[in-house]
Amino acid sequence: MSRKILCVAEKPSIAKSVAQHLSGGQFNTHSIRDNAFIKNYEFDFNFSPPWGQCSVIMTSVVGHLTGLEFAQEYRKWNACAPGQLFDAPVETGVDKDKKAIAANITSQAKCARALFIWTDCDREGEHIGSEVRQAAFEGNRTIEVKRAQFSNTERAHIIGAAQNPINLDDRQVNAVAARIELDLRLGAAFTRFQTLTLQTMGGDLQDRIISYGSCQFPTLGFVVDRYFAVQKFVPEKFWGIKVTHNRKDMEVTFSWRRHRLFDRASVVIMFERCLTARIAKVTKLQKKPTSKWRPLPLTTVELQKLGSMYLRIDSQRVMRVILHIKPLCPLFMVHQIAEELYNKGWISYPRTETDTFDKSMDLKRLIEKQGQDQAWGGYALTLLREGFKQPRGGRHNDQAHPPIHPVNYVAPGSLADDERRVYEFVVRRFLACCSEDAKGESTTVEIQYGDEAFSANGLIVLERNFLDVYPYEKWTSSQPLPKFSLNESFEPAEANITEGETTAPGYLTEPELISLMDANGIGTDATMAEHIAKIKEREYVMTQPRAGSAQTNGTTSRGGRGGRGGRGRSRGGSSAGGGGGGGGSVQQFIPTTLGVALIEGYNGVGLETSLGKPFLRKEMEIKMKEICAGTKSRNDFLHETLEQYREVFVRTQQQAGVLKAACRKYVFGDQP
Amino acid sequence: MCNPTTQISTQLASTKGLTPSPTWLTNFLTTQRPTTPLPVLTQTACFRLLASDIITSLSTNAATCFPPDIYNANIKERKLTGPIAVQVLAVENMSKSRWEQIEAIEALERGEGTKGREIIRVAATEEEHNESAGVAKGGGPHKLALQDATGKRVYGIELKGLEEVGLGMSMGCKMVLRNVVVARGMVLLEPVTVTVLGGKIEGLHKAWKEGRKAELKAAIEAGERVA
Repeated sequence: MSRKILCVAEKPSIAKSVAQHLSGGQFNTHSIRDNAFIKNYEFDFNFSPPWGQCSVIMTSVVGHLTGLEFAQEYRKWNACAPGQLFDAPVETGVDKDKKAIAANITSQAKCARALFIWTDCDREGEHIGSEVRQAAFEGNRTIEVKRAQFSNTERAHIIGAAQNPINLDDRQVNAVAARIELDLRLGAAFTRFQTLTLQTMGGDLQDRIISYGSCQFPTLGFVVDRYFAVQKFVPEKFWGIKVTHNRKDMEVTFSWRRHRLFDRASVVIMFERCLTARIAKVTKLQKKPTSKWRPLPLTTVELQKLGSMYLRIDSQRVMRVILHIKPLCPLFMVHQIAEELYNKGWISYPRTETDTFDKSMDLKRLIEKQGQDQAWGGYALTLLREGFKQPRGGRHNDQAHPPIHPVNYVAPGSLADDERRVYEFVVRRFLACCSEDAKGESTTVEIQYGDEAFSANGLIVLERNFLDVYPYEKWTSSQPLPKFSLNESFEPAEANITEGETTAPGYLTEPELISLMDANGIGTDATMAEHIAKIKEREYVMTQPRAGSAQTNGTTSRGGRGGRGGRGRSRGGSSAGGGGGGGGSVQQFIPTTLGVALIEGYNGVGLETSLGKPFLRKEMEIKMKEICAGTKSRNDFLHETLEQYREVFVRTQQQAGVLKAACRKYVFGDQP
Repeated sequence: MCNPTTQISTQLASTKGLTPSPTWLTNFLTTQRPTTPLPVLTQTACFRLLASDIITSLSTNAATCFPPDIYNANIKERKLTGPIAVQVLAVENMSKSRWEQIEAIEALERGEGTKGREIIRVAATEEEHNESAGVAKGGGPHKLALQDATGKRVYGIELKGLEEVGLGMSMGCKMVLRNVVVARGMVLLEPVTVTVLGGKIEGLHKAWKEGRKAELKAAIEAGERVA
């Protein structure tokens, strides 16, 4: 029997590093026909039983091998009514530019005993694995198929994965296959319908393809909703009472428990009653330990959010990357850079929802590897000796990948600027996760003055702990509070009515948009950045840097209230962090007139199932998870979802006038 | 045997602080069976009063109504012994901007609510429930428009939290004020001086609810003119 095993990775860089690890660096490289990027690496490896010592061909694909298309007669735009695309026959075919890659797998499979699939371990990777399997079957009907389970390209981990292969998960394959079919049908039906309908309006819309995507439209919807919230906003005045007192050359400001009220007359009356009372009394005095929690282990969504906040990407890099893929938001780039770092073996797989480290992971060994760094090496070594804490666990677990963490040490100097910044962030975040919370002491003085209650807070930071390695968050001691005693009465030095005005919310920023998509089940952590890039590319939204990032006013005092409980604490923490990074490059999204018209149009047709709202798509995402869990069949899912969207399609067709009216109003600026 | 009119009247005044007008009470009794026992009659009368417009149902003695100079803003503080029965004509939450409240009303009109950052569909049947649960709870202090039996309208502010007061309360709800402080023409409401009896005037409530968004908008515009 043949002693050959064929291994196929998702991309060439992974094939190469896996080959390097399994072969110990001894392998022969062969080019393949008609593709300059794919190489076959040949070497021997001793697999676990029943395989034993085998010769290996390690090769790769580049993403998906196949694509889904409508049957030939439906492909032309005017070949059929767009509505027919809900049922038109579809066929899977190998992409034209992937034919050589598929042929390589087919021919290598011919005399192989087994196929080991090394695609990334996520839903998409599982589906790509099934495409590889299909290509291998073309050459060898009886080839045994296995799948390597891995989440980073560190040597021991890869060897372990090669020794313990599992089976391909056909549920995940089915979920993705169904999603691909829905994307094709819905995308084509709505794109053709809305393009053909709006084309007739002429002008800017005449020669334009107005494409639709089931994730892109809700994403656009969030941007438009916020845009209107900003546009319609009306400022209002509010009033408050501020009490100050001087003691031992220290000035203390007491803030009003009611914070602020929107009724001047009432505030004046309350204020007058304070002045009449003249004397304030200390009603509560509390000193208690407080802490600022160390961050949770890093997920993709967090990396993207924080990345676009803290990691300024220089314009040179933007230019360089734009030449290849357009258009890019910094967030998309953070993602790309993280992928590069993973491909090179420095960090773990950067697409993960998991924010809990498995107890069995040897985190100390990972920390040890960072010991040689000039900037954070000292911290890492100290952490190993004393103070190491098992990281906190979050509530997410995708059961596939651990949180993003550094796998190997690389000298930052040897990395490109952006890669260095992202790598440094991943390392520092990891070290911070494994550290103690920062410790402090908070003091609260509450006073009763007339009928009103006021309080002053003080914070002393006692131990910085994780903050020493994690400069992205700030927590600083407040001005010291003078001594007060319980039930003590005093006459406040000054009391004033303060006045202010509400300010409009800002346009949606990238981190906010990511959070909204995440909370509403739009896209997966892996695809969110792509959806955002798409709505920019299609000119449904524009971005501009947010002027002045003063949105985190007053968070220091909120952080100081620390001890209140988990929620208050983590909130204070994250917002204070936002101010701390101070990256001036936060992008905000503004919809184009077309973007506004599309969302308003679909909302006008019916809110509950509007394509601009997240509801329909969220349901789709939930059902995909049900397929993966084995509680729903692929056919039921396809059928249900198509029927839901078909209903919207029919209604939109009947009310095409609503869509057109929205375009007339926003794109052409006609008065209704 | 005592006159039932007097008996009911005395009973309501001492237990509830409500003094029905003789005309109203006489009218009320004509609608009841003469054989009905007195405690039941009294209870029914109380229910009817709570659902009535007190301008037509309560007597207008000086002691149970606001004094004529109630609006005098030069009087820094005075105490009214009462008991003064009032009905609530409107309520607003002073701690939220009017715009924020308008946005919340509009989201409900669209059938949307939020759960954290998640946007959720609020089913039509849940709407009523959601409104009283979501919007009413928390917030405050509230400002209330109160009206006494003579029809005089005075503002009251919730100086200390009253459990029954909120945006979810019914308009026409009756309250009795005892030893209440009035400062610069504004009634200061606190649990010790206010007894909330409840009740609702259907027409008033409906009009208030339907007109709330417009009221809020008008208030913003008025504020802009002042500023």
